[in-house]
Amino acid sequence: MHFTPPSSRRKWRTFATATLALGALVALAGCAAPSAEATSAFTDWDSVVSDAQGQTVNLWMYGGDEQGNSYVDDVLAPAAAAEGVTLNRVPIVDTKDALNRVLTELQAGRTADGSVDLVWVNGDNFRTGSEAGAWLCEWTPLLPNMRNVSATDPLLGSDFGTPVNGCEAPWNKAQFSVAYNSDVVADPPSTVAGILEWAASHPGRFTYPAPPDFTGSAFVRQVLYSVSGGYENVPAAYSAESFDQLTPDLYTALSDVAPSLWRGGDTYPADVDQLNQLYADGQIDMTLTYGPATLTRLVEDGTFPAATKVLSIAEGTLGNASFLAIPANAAHAAGAMVVANLALSVEQQVAKADPTRWGQFTALDVAALTPAERQQFADLPQSTVVPSFEVLSRNANPELSAEWVPAVNEGWRTRIPTR
Amino acid sequence: MGSRGKRGMANPNPDPVNRLRGARLLLIVGMIPVVVVVVGGLGSTILQSIGLMPLVGPVRLSVDAYVSTAPALLSSIGTSLWIAAASTAVAIVLGATTAFVVVSGGRLGRIVGAIGAVTVSVPHLIGAATMGLLLADSGVLPRLLGIDATAWPALVAGPWWVAVIAEYAWKESAFIALVVAGTLLTRVAQFDEPAAMLGASRGARLRMVFLPLAAPALIVSATIVFIYTLGSYEVAWLLGRTYPEPLAVMAIRLFNDVSLSSRTESAAIAVLTVAISLAAVAVAAVAMRRSAVWR
Repeated sequence: MHFTPPSSRRKWRTFATATLALGALVALAGCAAPSAEATSAFTDWDSVVSDAQGQTVNLWMYGGDEQGNSYVDDVLAPAAAAEGVTLNRVPIVDTKDALNRVLTELQAGRTADGSVDLVWVNGDNFRTGSEAGAWLCEWTPLLPNMRNVSATDPLLGSDFGTPVNGCEAPWNKAQFSVAYNSDVVADPPSTVAGILEWAASHPGRFTYPAPPDFTGSAFVRQVLYSVSGGYENVPAAYSAESFDQLTPDLYTALSDVAPSLWRGGDTYPADVDQLNQLYADGQIDMTLTYGPATLTRLVEDGTFPAATKVLSIAEGTLGNASFLAIPANAAHAAGAMVVANLALSVEQQVAKADPTRWGQFTALDVAALTPAERQQFADLPQSTVVPSFEVLSRNANPELSAEWVPAVNEGWRTRIPTR
Repeated sequence: MGSRGKRGMANPNPDPVNRLRGARLLLIVGMIPVVVVVVGGLGSTILQSIGLMPLVGPVRLSVDAYVSTAPALLSSIGTSLWIAAASTAVAIVLGATTAFVVVSGGRLGRIVGAIGAVTVSVPHLIGAATMGLLLADSGVLPRLLGIDATAWPALVAGPWWVAVIAEYAWKESAFIALVVAGTLLTRVAQFDEPAAMLGASRGARLRMVFLPLAAPALIVSATIVFIYTLGSYEVAWLLGRTYPEPLAVMAIRLFNDVSLSSRTESAAIAVLTVAISLAAVAVAAVAMRRSAVWR
């Protein structure tokens, strides 16, 4: 078989392989890290609208909420079509998937013509994207419907402490809530500390998703406020000193309650869906949500017990807003702006706030609307499970800055499950 | 290659040197996409893990990513190896048995073969969801058996990763069975029938004919199963525990983490996983050389 001497053949093969490998590596290493903030090229709304005609906007959003999906498909998309934009909902398991897609595209040098046009985003994902220059900025002032939004609303001016800076348009407001089965929980607690006490005295009947799950992480921050004596005592801006000073009590409280949790705190639900599953199966008596809007439907269709109620927490709960952001490399930025503007219209916000449709709380400044528009919100059917946003958001706690979130999550991961 | 001389004589214009060169050139052309994908993918992962391909910030050579993941690494490697080894072991036993039944022929063999083919086509994610529905505390099985959720053993998210291993073993045993049965079907009869004629019992034929013939295919398919199980994350994430994390789950969590620096740590975990996989391939290569067929 040896037509050429083996040594020279091997050398040649090695050389060829090495050349190919080196070429591939050099090509990869040449991919530059993305540059700083990208700003919109548009200066007036009319040119945005004319540019948007015929565009297909890929809206990447968490796909696990059927009501949200049907609102976008059945209400928002037809309205966008009427304005000449095709709205294509891309369901994702986690918002990070969309951010990661954008970051990977930018890392690979795909700075235009990206596959993501619009993302439903907030908090740490928004901050990470901002740090990497992944968002298109200064475009929200162009949207005519931004006039319906309060310019001074702190929830909309900064997103978990990261200045919004026109890089994302408001969409929803949300309030962290604890739901419980009132048939089983005879003595519903009224504080976060009370929830932990209830868990300790009812072994195996409470748990929370393991951070970095969004809801589990929010619960841990809620406990941080509680053990610190209220949100006022936790500085919103992150610092290592505050972390070292405040979190030991947090992790002590969580590790003290762990043996009384579901499965003795030996393991935790990986995400909020698994938590909801446990609650639906009657294995636990409380569940957590940052989107209480979904509860009405879940009780109606029999997934959750009929006696499900929302705890009223005396010290208030975390509130946040969520937004629509356009990636810096979006292929259809103009179409995305048209959709974001449409999503802020009174008509769409009313449809979205209907508990039978989606029940997401409006991001608009309802008090500043015309009486006829206000009446549309007042006429919405009331949920039998979820109190109104005014009641839920009483004493609302502000979110911590986004830097706190990974630090608290990582602290939990290294201290609690390894206990 | 014993017929090479004969074929050379049949061909009036043999130029083996040029022919082989042409074949090699074609092979190299075919190899380019493979090399670009494997070397490119692996290369970019290595570059990321040593800080030479940052998402943001300066390019700086460092092993920080490896150092910072070190504390959790030992338990993660142990967990990954346990899941992969246990899944592979169960899959080998189940798969070889199934292959034996298929090769033995008859109606049972055809039915088992068909079940195996259907099992292979089920995606792992669907398989994991099914296992979860079946084995969870409030799953179908405890309900059918009338066992209370609190009395049911922790198969899903439990300390021994039972549901994860069961899913991998179930799916991969079908893969092993098809590979082994496929390589044996054409060859086993010529040895098995004479052995049977000479009075060898079923047990003796299994030991002396089936297993030696099946060994190479078993080793290769078991290695594929081990490496696949080591590198895949969905099943372990869905059916596993919060802590300790298998390597692949840790890598995907770090890759998706919001802090941009953790992507380098994710790449470091991926490089380590590849190293373990290569070690498994090396062990398999040694085992192959020792198996009778290759000697």
